[in-house]
Amino acid sequence: MIHFDNVTKVYANQNRPALDHVSVDVDKGEFVFLVGPSGSGKSTFLRLILKEERPNSGAIHVAGKDLARLSNFKVPHLRRRIGCVFQDFRLLPNKNVYENVAFALEVIGKPRRFIRKVVPEVIELVGLEGKAHRMPDELSGGEQQRVAMARAFVNRPMILLADEPTGNIDPATSIGIMKVLDRINRTGTTVVMATHDAAIVDSMRKRVVELEDGKIVRDQSRGVYGQAY
Amino acid sequence: MRANFIFSEVWIGLRRNLTMTIAVIITVAVGMAMLGVGLMINSQVGLMKGFWNDKVEVSVFLCKKGTAMPACNGKAITPAQTKALEAHIKGTQGVKQVFFENETTAYENFKQSFSSNKALVDATKVEDLPQSFRIALKDPDNYESVIQAVTGQPGVAQVMDQKQLIAPFFSMLDKLAIAALTVAIILVLAAALLIGNTVRLSAFNRRRETGIMRLVGASNLYIQLPFVMEGVIAGLVGGVFAAVILIVAKVFLFDQIVGFFGGATALLGWNDVAQTITITMIIGVVICILASFVTLRRYLRV
Repeated sequence: MIHFDNVTKVYANQNRPALDHVSVDVDKGEFVFLVGPSGSGKSTFLRLILKEERPNSGAIHVAGKDLARLSNFKVPHLRRRIGCVFQDFRLLPNKNVYENVAFALEVIGKPRRFIRKVVPEVIELVGLEGKAHRMPDELSGGEQQRVAMARAFVNRPMILLADEPTGNIDPATSIGIMKVLDRINRTGTTVVMATHDAAIVDSMRKRVVELEDGKIVRDQSRGVYGQAY
Repeated sequence: MRANFIFSEVWIGLRRNLTMTIAVIITVAVGMAMLGVGLMINSQVGLMKGFWNDKVEVSVFLCKKGTAMPACNGKAITPAQTKALEAHIKGTQGVKQVFFENETTAYENFKQSFSSNKALVDATKVEDLPQSFRIALKDPDNYESVIQAVTGQPGVAQVMDQKQLIAPFFSMLDKLAIAALTVAIILVLAAALLIGNTVRLSAFNRRRETGIMRLVGASNLYIQLPFVMEGVIAGLVGGVFAAVILIVAKVFLFDQIVGFFGGATALLGWNDVAQTITITMIIGVVICILASFVTLRRYLRV
């Protein structure tokens, strides 16, 4: 599903590469934790999958497509198959829960009938039934992140990328977020989650890829956050 | 594509930048009106030149007894001189036709021209008016050589070309047209910059939305269209105001000027005005679209 082959990324005006000859394979339906200290290249990894950045060398295949050969014109279509969740939720403050989720479908031109059908379904999936008409500032952090996950998942993407989704959320609430991610993963969606949260990684017992200074230093199935921490 | 989604986005964008939108509308309106006025003056000058060129003729006034002109020496032209002069004029290059106007016809024309000034007409007798040859020219713009050929011939009191009288008026109109077009170009430039700025503000105001649109895979067109539409709508509204200004200019400016100098056949038709309005509208909208796209390329990377 995601295939990195010897990928190096150096940002302009920087000597040290953000990713240094990284090769990794993620299969369909897998759940992968991306761990490592800040600046180790986790976010760069995710941005490369979205083709928000281009690698300096190496090849990236996502959903069977070679990103280097994907024209700019087709990048939006790639992104429709990838859902994204961030630490800062990125909700629209002037739209309620339902409208925030529906927005993702409206802007890719889905018909209204379809939107009316699937949005309530996905709101229920993330556990926000009955709160569809709340505004984001009336929700807790955990609930806001659930809205963001609903938005990321409403178009049934093949891949869900989560960049520290529990970074702004207390540990008890984080467990609920992880349950939703797990539920999404069980529908067959590949999940890649960058995180600092050792407790979560240890409790989930999923594949762990550890980055340090842009290099993969560990790739373990059913791993833990790491002995060093 | 969902039209009402785009229109609600456009409406929100226009309202958020109301002052900038008004500035764009005013600039586009004045700029396009200037452009239109320039174009209309141009076609008006064309029409009036055509009208005048049909009429313009060189008048050769002949000496009569007691004429004050130094060329006559106070003597009247003899019939032999008249014949010779007519032959000379007919032989001159560039002459199309020659008519002889005697005192009686001259007096009739004079009475007609000054019918409003009764005292002057009453004070003037038939004998006061000179005889003259009226020369129609092959090329109305090339009157100098004919004047030179006739001036100084025996019995000629004075040679006059109506063109000399109206030429300054035409050159003034030409200058006005150039001035209007220059102002138009400057204003169009200002409008383009203003639109660019408006789009930039809009893009900044809506960076959250556009960021999410990018993320969920909205197409570039879908993301950019609301911004471009904002520019187009501002341009169109400005164009409508410009159209109103042009219609007012036709009724209260052009028709009046032509009434003084041209006569009814040189009147600028509504067809010409409609054409000018169409041209200015198209130019205005195209400039808005171009300015929006250029700015979006810089401030809305996809």
